[in-house]
Amino acid sequence: MRGIRALTLILIAFLCALFIYVAEDIPIFGDPEAATIKYVELFQIHAKDLESLEGGTLPHSLVRNLKDRGFPPIIRIEKIPHTEGQWNGYVEKEEPHYPKEEKYYFIKKEGTLWKVYRYAFVVRWIEKGLKETAVPNMVTYGLADYRGYDTLGETTVIFTAGVSVILLLRRKGRL
Amino acid sequence: MIVETVSRVMIPFIQLFALYVIVHGAGGPGGGFQGGVVFASSFILYVIAFGLAGGRKRFPESVNTLFSSLGLYIYGGIGLLAILFSKGMAQYLNYGFIPFTSHFEENRALGMDFVEMGIGITVMAIIASIFFDLAEKEEGKGEKENSWNGS
Amino acid sequence: MEWFLAKIFAKYNYWVFILLMLIGFYGIVAKENLIKKILGLNIFQTAIFLYFISLGAVKGGTAPIVDETIIQKGYIYTNPLPHVLILTAIVVSVATTAVALSLVIRMHREYGTIEESEIIEKSLREPPHGENSKPGT
Repeated sequence: MRGIRALTLILIAFLCALFIYVAEDIPIFGDPEAATIKYVELFQIHAKDLESLEGGTLPHSLVRNLKDRGFPPIIRIEKIPHTEGQWNGYVEKEEPHYPKEEKYYFIKKEGTLWKVYRYAFVVRWIEKGLKETAVPNMVTYGLADYRGYDTLGETTVIFTAGVSVILLLRRKGRL
Repeated sequence: MIVETVSRVMIPFIQLFALYVIVHGAGGPGGGFQGGVVFASSFILYVIAFGLAGGRKRFPESVNTLFSSLGLYIYGGIGLLAILFSKGMAQYLNYGFIPFTSHFEENRALGMDFVEMGIGITVMAIIASIFFDLAEKEEGKGEKENSWNGS
Repeated sequence: MEWFLAKIFAKYNYWVFILLMLIGFYGIVAKENLIKKILGLNIFQTAIFLYFISLGAVKGGTAPIVDETIIQKGYIYTNPLPHVLILTAIVVSVATTAVALSLVIRMHREYGTIEESEIIEKSLREPPHGENSKPGT
């Protein structure tokens, strides 16, 4: 067993070096501006005719830019109240019994640059959850309603574990 | 002696707390998996205090197999009801189309409550069954020697 | 000093995760007793769960239960998505541990010992007794 112990220690040292090398990409603990809870940057454009966003119309260069890069097409734009220079972009979505659009893009103006972001997926979960299902607990309606199919597979896993313990451990006379 | 007396007093309250955790999964922390495991721990306390044969008498095997498949039937049945009541227009687990009440959102909340109860029943029965199987003693040493010195 | 604070202190959940994971990994590979291997597996899984949930923490956030009074005061919620995924993973870990323990009981009935090296010696001397062994060996 000496050989396996020495090999394991060498492998652990190598893995430790690998983890330390990757450590600068890991996000800071408890960041409120992290990409998983707010938005992710997609691209920046320098166009001049985006000033028409203030009037509420869809500018041509934005639609063409989105279509060239392969993102889903934008339907309408709405200004966020009580802020300066920030807009929400909406995308069409097919769902029974609910309005046919969903908040997808976030556009911000910084100087002469226009930055386009995409909202994270949990934003819909947090904001519209109480209105769509009348349950206040976010984890419960996430498990049993939005991800109900995964919970069905989960119950099957624990049922299979119980059955396999019975099959392995019963003696001949009792099964 | 102390363990027997204390467990005789505490076991009903542990089961009541487990039912509270399952039912209040909607308004606060809790849910199906958590409540099921707390319920099964009351059976483990009974076996520790009163022996394995006494535990088997209280929770026989037929009841165990009945409960462990009942929970899965409830889960799959609620999903099928959603297809039946909407005449093929909705997906498999869309609880909003089952006509418990007249609002779409309250139907979703009630469908979720039924599903959590089903999960709690299954988890309780399976964990009790695993514990009873792992705790069996070997029946005598003669069988072990025969199986080793053979062939 | 600032480099030290920014790189190492701000991500202390990552260093705790590395320590627990390597302890569990060493326990699975290099220990001989079968029960110690199962314990190492459990430590490994616990390290992964803790790291994944700590990725979703937000500074100053409250528990993810929607309440009208909290929204008006302007609080932020922690990310509920990792909680949902880890709840499923915990149940899978319980199922895996149950089946592994029943396999250890079966091996003890067959060979009479739980040390891995003794089991390998005994199985090389005589093939295991079952319905598939050849007659006359």
